[in-house]
Amino acid sequence: MTTANTYTEPELVQLLRQKEETAFKYLYDHYAGALNGVILQIIPDQALASDVLQEVFVNIWRRMETYDASKGRLFTWMLNIARNAAIDMTRSKAYQNSQKNRELDSDVHIQPEGTNPSLDHIGLSKVIGQLKEEHRVLIDLAYLKGYTHEEIAKLLEIPLGTVKTRIRAALLQLRKFLT
Amino acid sequence: MQEYIESGSIESCVLGLADQAEQQELERMCAAYPEVRAARDAFEASLEASAMAGAVAPPPALRDSIFEKITQPESGSLTQPAPVVELPTPEAYSGVGWKKYLVAASVILLAGSAVLNIYLYNRYQQSDSLYKDLLAQQQQLAENNNSIQTRLNELETDLSRIKNPNVQPIKMTAVNNTNSLTTVYWDKNAAEVYLLVNQLPKPEPGKQYQLWAIVNGKPVDAGVIDLEPGDGLVKMKNIPSAEAFAITLENAGGSQSPTLTAMYVLGKV
Repeated sequence: MTTANTYTEPELVQLLRQKEETAFKYLYDHYAGALNGVILQIIPDQALASDVLQEVFVNIWRRMETYDASKGRLFTWMLNIARNAAIDMTRSKAYQNSQKNRELDSDVHIQPEGTNPSLDHIGLSKVIGQLKEEHRVLIDLAYLKGYTHEEIAKLLEIPLGTVKTRIRAALLQLRKFLT
Repeated sequence: MQEYIESGSIESCVLGLADQAEQQELERMCAAYPEVRAARDAFEASLEASAMAGAVAPPPALRDSIFEKITQPESGSLTQPAPVVELPTPEAYSGVGWKKYLVAASVILLAGSAVLNIYLYNRYQQSDSLYKDLLAQQQQLAENNNSIQTRLNELETDLSRIKNPNVQPIKMTAVNNTNSLTTVYWDKNAAEVYLLVNQLPKPEPGKQYQLWAIVNGKPVDAGVIDLEPGDGLVKMKNIPSAEAFAITLENAGGSQSPTLTAMYVLGKV
């Protein structure tokens, strides 16, 4: 059941903290697609991405008290929960086993299964795709694969300082493309 | 401050790529400078807009599944909540599995080692007893060798006496109906007398053969004879001169004068 109501963000947070299910349904209907799109960037398999999305929404529901509005928008908080959950999934043994027969995906442009190809060129994916190759690779590794700067330095065989500098540059590029 | 905005720190923090210290710095900067706060808000908004633009509708069934999940604890609130059982993570499982294999491998190695030990111990015992047998055999052979050596020395000595040109062999043939035969090897210069018993009947108990030298027609005691089978030359008493040698059977220990009726052999020089 979808609701026609709209809430301001503080209202929504307030209602969610009161465990208001209607507010949660609104939250889901409003943000599930966006979060799913981000999760698919990390986990291309929709069946596995759905598992992650479910876990993410259950966590949002249960951990609403830990959200601190002074630190950022609600969506930013949810996005980080989704990204962390998706990266955790990619590091689980079960996921890695399921990926063994797949080709190594060095490209950030992972085509999510069962999605419309035209969606590939909108949103975050499009923005990341516009970055210079050296920036794109770093954002892929750091943001979508969750590698630490040290791991990236080792993986790409470039100095740690260079990794940090390039990631900063990539992030500023990202901001430019986003706005 | 503008420098901070241009440092990429805001983006790093918003995207969750920053460490604790960087996050705290952004919070401080946001509290202190509205411009920083505005820059953060703007990036967050653009990020959200971008994610919204890239939305992919999840499978419709997921919605009900999630609602069911979040309402479960509510409906079950009247009853005692089920105890949370910590399921081992796949890593934990793999850790246990790894250890299991290690333990299994250790047990197999230990069992193998024990079997090998038993086998080697048996082999060692076999070798040890074989070694002791060989040692005893070697000792036996050494003793045999010694006795043979001794015997060889005796025979060589005997042979050198017989070969001595100064030594005269005197064959003493039977004077009774026995097949007795003895030989005296006499070195006149040295007066040494050696007796070789070729054949003499075994004396009765309490009896002993005695060698006599006949000197000027009178018998002179040349010593009693101990019959030992295999004996070679036996040194008798020194006799400087004699015409003949004879052997009689006397009471054990010998007699002052020979019992002529019991003479066995006689040989003239």
